[in-house]
Parts: sequence; C-alpha cells; structure tokens
Amino acid sequence: MKKYIKNISYIMSLVCIVIFAPSCVNDLNVTPINPKVTQTFNQDEVFAKAYAGFAITGQEGPAGNIDIDTEITDEGKSALYRCLWNCNELTTDEAICAWGDAEVIELNTNTWSSRNPTSGSIYDRFYFVISISNHFLEKTAGMTDAATVKQRAEIRFLRALSYYYLLDLFGNVPFTEVVSLIPPKQIKRAALFTYIEKELSECEADMYEPRTAPYYRVDKVANWLLRSRLYLNAEVYTAVPATPASANFPAVSASPGTPRWNDAAIYAKKVIDSPYKLNPSYKQLFMADNAGSIDGSSINTAPQEIIFPIAADGVKTKSWGASLFLIGSTHINITGVTPNWGTKENWGGNRARATLVKKFFPNAPAGLFTSNKSDLTTVGGALKDSRALFNGSSDFSLNITTISEFKQGYSIIKFTNVRADGKPSHDPQFTDMDIPFMRAAEAYLTYAEAVVRGGATVNGYDALTAFNEVRKRANPATVKTSIDLPTILDEKAKEFFFEGQRRTDLIRFGKYGGATGYTWDWKGGTVAGSNFKAEFNLFPLPAGDLNANPNLDQNPGY
Amino acid sequence: MRALATVLALFALGLSANAQITVSGIVKDAKTGEPILGASILEKGTNNGIITNFDGAFTMTVTPKGTLIVRYLGYLPQEIPVSGKTTLVIQLEENVVALGEVVAIGYGTVKKNDATGSITAIKPDKLNRGLATNAQDLITGKIAGVVVTSSDGTPGGGATIRIRGGSSLNASNDPLIVIDGLAMDNQGIKGVANLLSAVNPNDIESFTVLKDASATAIYGSRASNGVIIIITKKGEKNSKPRISYDGTFSVSTIRKEIKVLTGDEFRKVVNNLFPGVANPVTDAEKSVNKSDSTTRSKLGKANTNWQDQVYQTALSQDHNLNIMGGYKNIPYRVSFGYTNQQGIIKTSNFERFLGSVSLSPSFFDDHLKMNLNAKGMHAKNRYADGGVVGNALSMDPTQQVTSSDPLYARYGGYWQWLTGNNRINTNATNNPVATLNQKSDISNSNDFIGSADIDYKFHFLPEMRAHLNLGMESSYGIQNLYLDTVAASDAPFGRKGWDKISKYNKSLNFYLQYTKELGKHNFDIMGGYEWQHFYRDGSNEYQGLVKTDTNLDGVINSTDDYYNHIYPDKTRFATENYLVSFFGRLNYSYGGKYLTTFTLRNDGSSRFNSANRWGLFPAAALAWKINEEEFLKEKDIFSDLKLRLGYGITGQQDFPLLGDYPYIPVYTTSIQGAFYQFDSTYVTTSRPDAYNAKLKWEQTTTWNAGLDIGILNNRITASLDYYYRVTNDLINVVSVPSGTNFRSKVISNVGSLNNKGVEFSLTAKPVATKDFSWDVSYNLTYNKNMITKLTTGSQEGYIVETGGTFQGQVQAHAVGHPANSFYVYEQKYDANGKPIEIGAPKDPKNTAAGNYKDIDAFVDMNHDSIINQKDKYFYHNQNADFTMGLSSKIIYKNFDFSFTLRASIGNYMYNQVEASYLDVGKKGIWNPLGFFSNKPAYSFNTNFQGTSTSTFLSDYFVQDASFLRCDNISIGYSFKNLFKVISGGRIYVTVQNPFVFTKYKGVDPEIYGGIDSNKYPRPMISILGLSLTF
Repeated sequence: MKKYIKNISYIMSLVCIVIFAPSCVNDLNVTPINPKVTQTFNQDEVFAKAYAGFAITGQEGPAGNIDIDTEITDEGKSALYRCLWNCNELTTDEAICAWGDAEVIELNTNTWSSRNPTSGSIYDRFYFVISISNHFLEKTAGMTDAATVKQRAEIRFLRALSYYYLLDLFGNVPFTEVVSLIPPKQIKRAALFTYIEKELSECEADMYEPRTAPYYRVDKVANWLLRSRLYLNAEVYTAVPATPASANFPAVSASPGTPRWNDAAIYAKKVIDSPYKLNPSYKQLFMADNAGSIDGSSINTAPQEIIFPIAADGVKTKSWGASLFLIGSTHINITGVTPNWGTKENWGGNRARATLVKKFFPNAPAGLFTSNKSDLTTVGGALKDSRALFNGSSDFSLNITTISEFKQGYSIIKFTNVRADGKPSHDPQFTDMDIPFMRAAEAYLTYAEAVVRGGATVNGYDALTAFNEVRKRANPATVKTSIDLPTILDEKAKEFFFEGQRRTDLIRFGKYGGATGYTWDWKGGTVAGSNFKAEFNLFPLPAGDLNANPNLDQNPGY
Repeated sequence: MRALATVLALFALGLSANAQITVSGIVKDAKTGEPILGASILEKGTNNGIITNFDGAFTMTVTPKGTLIVRYLGYLPQEIPVSGKTTLVIQLEENVVALGEVVAIGYGTVKKNDATGSITAIKPDKLNRGLATNAQDLITGKIAGVVVTSSDGTPGGGATIRIRGGSSLNASNDPLIVIDGLAMDNQGIKGVANLLSAVNPNDIESFTVLKDASATAIYGSRASNGVIIIITKKGEKNSKPRISYDGTFSVSTIRKEIKVLTGDEFRKVVNNLFPGVANPVTDAEKSVNKSDSTTRSKLGKANTNWQDQVYQTALSQDHNLNIMGGYKNIPYRVSFGYTNQQGIIKTSNFERFLGSVSLSPSFFDDHLKMNLNAKGMHAKNRYADGGVVGNALSMDPTQQVTSSDPLYARYGGYWQWLTGNNRINTNATNNPVATLNQKSDISNSNDFIGSADIDYKFHFLPEMRAHLNLGMESSYGIQNLYLDTVAASDAPFGRKGWDKISKYNKSLNFYLQYTKELGKHNFDIMGGYEWQHFYRDGSNEYQGLVKTDTNLDGVINSTDDYYNHIYPDKTRFATENYLVSFFGRLNYSYGGKYLTTFTLRNDGSSRFNSANRWGLFPAAALAWKINEEEFLKEKDIFSDLKLRLGYGITGQQDFPLLGDYPYIPVYTTSIQGAFYQFDSTYVTTSRPDAYNAKLKWEQTTTWNAGLDIGILNNRITASLDYYYRVTNDLINVVSVPSGTNFRSKVISNVGSLNNKGVEFSLTAKPVATKDFSWDVSYNLTYNKNMITKLTTGSQEGYIVETGGTFQGQVQAHAVGHPANSFYVYEQKYDANGKPIEIGAPKDPKNTAAGNYKDIDAFVDMNHDSIINQKDKYFYHNQNADFTMGLSSKIIYKNFDFSFTLRASIGNYMYNQVEASYLDVGKKGIWNPLGFFSNKPAYSFNTNFQGTSTSTFLSDYFVQDASFLRCDNISIGYSFKNLFKVISGGRIYVTVQNPFVFTKYKGVDPEIYGGIDSNKYPRPMISILGLSLTF
C-alpha cells in the first residue's frame, strides 16, 4: 500500500504539471528584452534620426543594422548622399567612375534600368526619411511647446526636401503623409510641385531665424534656398507629357510647364541678403574642420556659407557613403606619393571627365594638359581659378579611353579630410568633413540665371553682380562684364562640380536626355559621346515598389 | 492439466528451493555459428549474471528451474529455461531490422514494421565508429532524401543538412534536431560551428529521420524541413562493467591546389606585358618606357609557392573511452571523448573534450522507468584567417616570405606590399603567412545538454503510460581576437577584443499514452503538452592596442581611450522566444494489416501576434501490410511489403536572421559611430523599425506515397517514396509599397513554392556465411524545387536577386524557377570557342578592327540593343537533380573492407574563384594601386583582359559541379583475447575523401550555396584507428 501511495504522489505531480500548463501559455506574451530596442517613442532621438538619415546608413555606423533594404549588398553603397551623388554626377559631363559595379557602369554610360540598385536605393532612402517624418509628425501632433514646434517645422522641411528629390529624380511617385498599410496613391509631378511649395511655405514661420539654429539643424534660409531651387526648375517640374490612359490614370495631353523666374529670384535674393556669406576660401568648404569653431578650428570659417551641412565625424558619425565616399572615391594611392587627403582610404573610382576640366580651361594654351601639375589651381594668369582642384600630374591623363582605368581622367582634390588649421583629424580612416549639402553660393548663380531668363530683379540687384560675386572668389581678375545662359551653366559646373547637382542643371538647360546637341566624353556609352533617350530625364520607379504598389504607373520609356 | 502443473511446480520448488547447479554453455550467432563474446546472461528475477568470454563461453551457478535471459547488442534477446540442464548451446538471432524492432518517432516509438510515415532509421555502423568527428558525418550519403554538405575543411566545421530540398526562402531550412527528447534550437554555439558538436558520435545509438508530414507533423511548427531524432546509448541492467576504447590518429593533407604561376613564369608574363619601348623618341614613348621599367623593377627574385607556405600536413587524434554496465537495476553508461584536430591551413586547430553520463534506472517492476542523460563539452578552436586561401593564390610568387630589409621590420619582418611612404599598401594582397602568424583568433566554448525522461506505466491500468521529459541546453562561448600592431590588416594600431554569446533552451513535455488491443483492433492513443523557452544574449568589445588622442587635447595620456574602442554595453543584445504546444496521436490498426495514424498539433509561438499565434497542424497516414494478406502470407516471398500513404501540414516559424519580435513595433537606438551631431553634442538616434503585426505561420502541405519491400527474410529490403510538398504563406522578406512601413521590404507571408521528389533506397546482404559476409546499401534521390508565387502584386518579371558575390548578385528567386537560380548574362563565344569580352580588341594584331561591344559579348535577351540588368536570364541552380549514396561492407574472417561513395548530378556552381582571377591583362597583373597579382594557370587560357566587369556576371562562370565522391575507404582487422585484459578489438586504416570525380574546374565541387569563394579546402584524411574492448 505504501508503494501505491508513493506511486500516486508521482501521478499527482504529473497531473499538476498538466494543470499548470495553461499558465505557461501566457509566456507567449513577450516584450522585447533586447537592450538596443525600446517600445517607447523618444521624441528627440527620432527627430535626430530624420537628420541622420541623410548622413549614415544604419544604427551601428559605419555599417550594421541598416535602415533600408537594398539590392546593393554593401551597406555603404546604399547611402543616401552616395546614391544621390551617383545619379546626379556619374550620368553627366562631370564625373565618371572606374568601378565594375553593374549599377555604376549603367550610370556612367546612361543605360540604367528599373532594377538599377543605386536609383532604387536613393528612392528607398528618401521614403525612409519620409516615413520617419510622418511618424514623428503623427506622434507629436497637437504639441505646442516651443521646442516641438521648431522640430515639427524642420521635420516638415526635411520631408519636403525628400519629396523634392523624388520629384526631381523620379517625377511621379507614391505620396503619403501617414504611415499606414494602405498603399499610397501616385502623385503626378506637377501636383507634387504644388505640395512641396505649400509645405515649404507653411513650415517656414516656425523654423529658426537665420543662423540662430544649432549648427547642423536647418533654419529659414535653407527653406528659401530650396524654394529658389524649386522655382528655378518650375518649368521642367510642372510640364506635363502626353500619356495614354492607364489603370490608375486617365489619358492626358501634353502641356508645357510654367516658369517661375520671379519667385526663383525673390527667394535667392532672400538667401543672398541673409547672414550667410560666401566664405573667402573656397577650399575650406571641403575640409575636415569645415564646421569651424564647432570643430575647434579658429582658421576655418566655412560655416558662414554652409546652410545645411551633412555631419560626419571620424569616431562618432561614420559612414561609407557620405564625405568619406567623396574623399576616398576620388583619390588613389600612387606609389611614391604620400597620402595628403587625410584618410587612408583611396578607392580610385570617381574622377573628372575631360569635358569638366575643359570648362575651366576652354582655350588652354598648348602643353597645359601635359604640364604635370599636381594642382591645377596653381595655373596662373587669366586661367587661374581657385576652384580648379584637379590633379593634372603625369600620373593622370586628361582623356578617357577606358572607363575602368582610374588614371585616365584628372583626379579631384577638392575634398579632403585635412584640417585648415593643420591639426590632426579625429580618425585616420573615417572622415570629419561635413558635406556642404546646401551653401550660399548657389543663391547667387540661381539669382543670376533667373534674372537672365526673364525674372524681375529684386531691389535693383542685377544678375551680373550676383554672378561676379561667385566669380570674384575664384579669381578677382576674371570678373565678367556680361553674361549669358551658357556662361552660367558652365559657371555652375565650375562652382559646384562633384557636389551632386549637375543632372538637374543639365536637364533645365535641355542638355541631358534626348537630341540635345550637347555631348560629353562617354555620354551614352561612346567615347565621343552620343545622345540617350529623353525619357531618361526621369529615373524609373524601382521594380520592387512598382510590383508591390498597384497604384503606380511606370515612367514612360522603361 | 494446468492445476496439475502448478502443483508439480510447487512441489519441485519445495524440494529444491535452495539447490543450485552449475551450468556452462556457449552463445553463438544462429546464422554463422560464430561464438559471441560479451553477451550478457542473467538469471531471471535475480541479480545473478555473467558475460561470455572470448570463446562465447560462460559458466554460472543457477537454480535448476531458473530461466536465463541472454542479450547481445544487435541480436534479439532470448529467454532459455534451464530445466536442470548443465550444458547449453544458445543461438542468438541477429536482429535484421536496424534498431531492434522499434524506431523512435516523435513522443514515442513504433515498431518498424508498423510505421506508417516515411521514416528512415539508421544505426551507426560499429565498424565505422571513430571515423566521425561530428554526428552528421554518420548519416552523410546514407539516407535517401537527406543531403549533408559540410561547410568546408575547417577543423570542427559545420554542415548544412537538407531533407527533401528546402521548403522555405527566408525562414530556416534546417531540420529540427531532437536529442534524447530535447528539441534543439538550431542556433549553434559561439565558437563551434557545428550544431551537433556536443554529441559524441560514439555515443549515438541511433538516428531516425522523419521525412514526410505524417511523421513530422507531431512536431508541428518546426517540422517542415524534417526531423532528426538522435538517441544516445544506454547501459544494460545487471551487467558487468564493460570498458571499451576507440581511438584514431590521422594525417590530413590538401587534396588539390590551384595551379598558379611560379615565380619564373610570373616574371616572364610581366616582362612580356611591360616590355618598354626599345628606342624611345617621343615623350609618350619615353613615358611608357619609364613606367614599364618601374613596373618590372617591382619584381622579386624568388620562387615562392604561397600555397605550400599556407597549407600543412595536419595531424589529429581522437580518443574515446566508455564504460557501460548495470549496477543492479541501474544501467549506466559513462563516456569521455577527446579530439585534437589540426587544420591543413597552418595555425588552425580544434580541440574538444566531451563527457557524457547516462543512467536508466527502473522501479516497481519496470512500471517506472527513468532515463537521465547529461552531456558536456568544452571546445577550444583556433581559427585561421580564411582570407589566406585567396591571398595564397594572388600573392606575388617572385617575393620571399620574409625579408631582412629594415623596411619590413615594422611589419614583423614579413615581406609586404608597401606604398611610397613605406607604409602598408592597404589595397594590396597581404602576405598570407604573416596574416596567419600575426593573428590569434581563439574561441572557448562550453555546452551542457541534460535531459530527464520519466515514464510511468499505471499500476491499476497498465495500458496507460504517463511520460515526462525535462530537458535543457546551456552554452557559453567566447571568441578572443588579438592582432599585433605589426599585422598588415590593422597596422599601426593593432586590435584586440572578444565576442561572446550565451544561450539556454529549456523544455518540458508531458504526454499520456493508452494502448489497447481489442481482438483484431489495436488502439494507441497519445496526448500531450510541450513548453519550450529559448534565450540568447551576447556582447562584444574591440579596441586598438594603442591609445590615440581621442579627446583631441593634443596629447595622448591617461584621459585618452584606445583607438576605435567599442564597449560591450553598446553591443549587448538579448532575445528570447517561447513555444507552447498541445499534441495528440491516434494509431489504429486492424488485424495487423491495415494501419492508420492521425496526429494533430496546436502550436503557439511568441514570434507572432496573439491573433495569429496559434497554428493547427494535422496529419494522417494509411499503411497496408500486403505481405500479411492471406494470398501472400503462404507464399513466403515477402518478409515485408507495405504500402504507405501520408498527408499532413507542418509549419515554420524559425527565421533566425529576422529576430524574435517581427510583429512588435520597436525603436532601435544607435551606438557610437551612428550618433548624429547638433552643435557640439553627439546625440543618440532612435529609429522606428519595420514590423508586421499580421505575420503568421508558414505552412507546408506534404503528400507522400511509399512502398517498403523486404524479401528473403529481409536480406534484401527496398523503399520507394514519392512526395509532393507545397509551402504557402512563405515567410518572406518582400517589397511593400513605399511609405507604408519603415522599410521597403518587410517580413510577410507572401509566396509559394513546391518540392517534388522521388526517393529510393536498397539494402542487401548478397553474401552471409560464417566466414564471408557482404552488406551493400544504395540510395537515390530526385528533387525539384520551384517557386510558384513570390509577391502580392501581379507585375511580371518580379525578381529577388540573391547570392551576393564581390561583383554583384548572381542568383535570384523568380516565379517558375527553382529558388536561388543563377541569374546571369548569356555568354557569346568567338570562332575559336573562347568567351568574348566587352571592350577586348576583336583582333589583337589589327587595332583597326575595333573592340567588342556589349552586345557582341552577351545575348541581348530583350532585343533593345542595350545590355543591362534586364538581359540576365535564369540558368541552372545550386541544387542537384539527383543525389546518390552507395555503401559497401565486406567481412572475410577477421578482415573487413568497406567504402562509401556519394554522387550528385545536375548541381551547378558559380566559380567565383575563377571569376575573381580572370583578369590577365596589364591591370590584372600589375594593379595600378601598386602591386602584382598572381593568377591561376587556367586564367591564361581564357585570357580575359579585364576590359569589362560585366564579365563577372557571365554564365561562363556557372559551371557543372556534378560529382562522384568517395567519402571513405576502410580496411580493418579484428582480433580477440590479447594480453589477457583485452577481450577483443579491431585495428583499421581508413582514407577519407580520397578522390572526387568532377568536371568542375575549382578545388571542390561541393559547396553549399552554389558560390565557390576560396573556401577552406576539404582535406584528404588518412586514419589509423584502434578499437578495444576490455
């Protein structure tokens, strides 16, 4: 009997386990225990992430815990600035890249498809910023404290800026102001133009007054500069091409765009009149201490010109796709030369097409291009230009017969991780140089162009004066006495080469896709240069989104 | 009559209660007549027992009316009444069905003959013990439908197991592995690549592979990719301690090197490519002359075979000792194992200690049985830097390994490519010997697996059993890295640090089972509950060896930190998940001929939202034992003839790369390196992560039809299975409309794929005589995988590119193609059959002929006269159409000879090794970044000039990697009664991986994933082994 009692106690304990089983079902209600994640909305940190979306690629830096999904296997290659730069520079008369990545080759030779991972990544990066912005605005809706009001205005600006680039690159894109499971509708380019204009106008009042924002945050001047850029391209952006009916849209007939030269001039002039000024030294804009006093530099005064810097720091803010990309990809370690660009990275990829160099030296004396000058800003006389930051030494040739040969084409020495004050930068590999994403010089050339194209002058400030402000810094001896549109386009190349703006300018001047009468070396994939189709003025919507979202029509020609 | 017998028995008992007689006898194999040594003989109901000696003989004192129980592993036990006899000849029948009559299935066992599902049970061949360092080596090539691919030749390296092809895309395709009742978590242990490392192959009693859903559905949510049940060995009741030893010494050598240019050949190539100009006149000619002579001046004078410098002949040893027996009614088994494996890449080494204890006591007349298992492992693994495999190919063969030039003192005296300022050229190939010697990367790992199995047969209802299994695995692994400041990769700061992961996995399952026979009706009903908890955390810390001016005050002092210091509090992660399940099974058979099985499992996973958390997984199977029918029974042709039909639904919820909380909206905070700056303050950022609140189970439906045949008393057995598996609601990372989530791709239940296949296996004993026996087994598998749906959208031509190589992706998923098909350009060839390269001259002797354009080199698939990514096409895939295995074992007297062959037909490989060294043009040989690169000899036959990087994406590099491999050949000699203490043993010589027949150009045609990228080569291993029984 004793034995049986013992047995029964075994059975009882087993039965108990069965009874307690349902309580274990509650174990299925987990909350994340990972210390790196939280379920709480941290307003300041999410706000900072919207800015960081322009600078870094994930939450670990320089790579790791990536923000987006990309067809590019290497996280750094999917960075916002890097992809934007590749789309706007490699496809133009300025830059060409030696690397073999298929997406780079397609951009070099203007043969991309809807599966190009670079144009796909830039699309995803901007929608990432847009989704974060939408989420931030939803979470802070109705808050009226001063700090939140400013943050919300800046977030609206960053969202408008993202939509601006989508407008510029892709034209007709999905549009949403909320994060919800309902697939967004496609917005046509002209309507998106109107939306961006409205947003910028609405958020302006709550933004910081000029130069009162903490450095790296934007103020009203950024808003004005973006608006002047929007208006300058208004004719392109609001033009409607003829399109047949689709499942999503009725047929439309073509209508020309509406130019806004007056508005372009007005907002450019507001920038010119703001406390932002041209920095006397062009070179300082692209150096490791270009945050000036914030970088502990008493020499570098670049912040007076930089309206919207994209931050980088060799230790704290690291990316393979921001300023390190600009510096690393444009340099190469040649045996016998000590690296003088402040990082050990030297990827030998992006360099100047001959067309770009010739903009600086259109009537170059014989022998200039074989004169073995490792810094073309030292070319003297009337050709002198402090922006001609090319390495024209005998290691490099001006002309490019093989795209994959970096040493064919002059190397760019514009971007460095060296400090103007000579102190060491934070890290021997990752860079401190901030990208001067928006800077005041643009307003001068925008103003000049808008007025030359027929815009009214503001307070009698004439186009030539504005133009010559920029010119004077490069070489006071070369100020012009008259200007025309081709001169302005060439001046933009000289002032902004390799700063990710060229494609937009060429399209506005009718010199990009289509039968333009303007070619550059390797345009369309031929050494002499050949036209590519006009439809390439817009990039294709990525195949992935087109498939996922039934509301989208592909851009014509893809 | 009965009463009379009872009276007589009582009478006899009364007379001779204490009388004892001495019985002597011999135990023999019934078929061969061979004496059996080590058989245990136990007088029933007592503790009186003995073991047969070398001649199979025994002598013991017993009661004349007693009964002897005779047992020996692999034979059917026999009960022999003594009946007063004093000499006995006992003949044991070999147990022809492996594993005895019983095979393990989920939560229980079943008689092999009564199994209704597609189940393969194998027992490791005792002649082959000691050959395997890892448990899965024992089943490689042995089971139809199971493909085991070792990851590479790294000592202690891992393997990928696939059962009937992969049923998932982004979720795990690994089978569920259950060790002594504990379902493992498949995550492995830090520092030990192999999931099964903690199990000593010598301890394994049996493997059972459950393949079709009717067998696996009892494991519900984790069963879509099959289940492998491993049972370890146990002692026997009332048996004397038996000690045995298995040990091997082995020598590993590289099986195949890639032939690259020697120093002399390389110098010739360089001199031809950079000849200079004979009498330079123009500036251009002078410039060429100068640059060519500079290039030539970089050549060294040596003839170094870098592969020889990197590889070594490796020595390894493996020792196992085990003691098994039964102390009274407590059977026990204790084992120790020690492995020390050198790798064929210098410095790599794997050392492992294993211990296990198993106790299986039973109480109350076997009503209560317990099974207690504990297994422990400690492993120490030194990794060699995998980069040396490639660097040994491309390193300049004209340079010495070391140099006395003081320039190189900064880099430890090893010759390296330097830049103009005599610093390391970071773009150049690093000296692989320096890499090996200057890097210490050592992991230390500990693992414990414990399980307690308690089975109680109710006293008042013996048909009812209650079964409780408690199990846990706990492991901790840390990997320590140290790189000297002279190491090229991290000069001048050096680097050190550690990375650790600890985890545990706890499980409890309980079930009740009721078995009842009612005339011809047999019922077996089981119902149970399971709870599992998986937890993992980890962190790492890395830093330079020297301090830098991190606070930027101009001086380096104690207030500064080490270069690039990453702190563990910033890298720590932790994650957990739970599974709760209810399950049941009904087995019903009628007349021993018609068998049915129904199972049902309801699984709850913490990886899904409460609304989608529970998944119901049913299965049913029918079997008809045709040989039991009257019309066949009499003819006695078939010892087994069974038709099986099965259907079931299984699930998948394991997506290791996607985390445990895919449905919970969270924010990820950034760590240093991903801070953002406002004014002078670096702020942490917080990112809302993508999530899918609607995520649910992936479901695989399987249909299976099978036929088992056994003839000549099962001397020949065969099985044939056909299966069709469809996976729906694939857990898949797919594009979602931009703006609807925080990422453009989100884990979702989108897509379908299917696998169809046929499996055939055959085992035969063509010869079975006293002196000569021959066993042979063969298996064949055909599997075809196909994606049928990939998106929610309807757009045609949607493709998900996968398979990243150094120059872009070469594989893709698409509807109508197998998963991970190669997705490349179709190469065009010139009149001589050589592949055409974009940009290469059409005629090297006549520059006027111009260069090849892109459309000359690749087929313009969409006829738009542009070659871009839209011109790629689908071309074969990594998975074989057919896989086969053939094992043979011959025993002649004391000698044995065995071998295992394995073949794979129709599997293709992207030869990334060939692609990465294709450029034998000027830039390929002398990189403009300032260094020479050596090339494989075959690259000069193809003669690509590196004029286009699109060449990398050509189908030219997708090569047929079908192969026939010999896994091992073994010759052994068995002996008996040595030096009195050794009762028996065997000495053997084995060669593992002696040959591979393949057309594939690379080193090894067998690489999981289909992309060949300078893997650690699998060695050929020559083994001398010894097994002893004391």
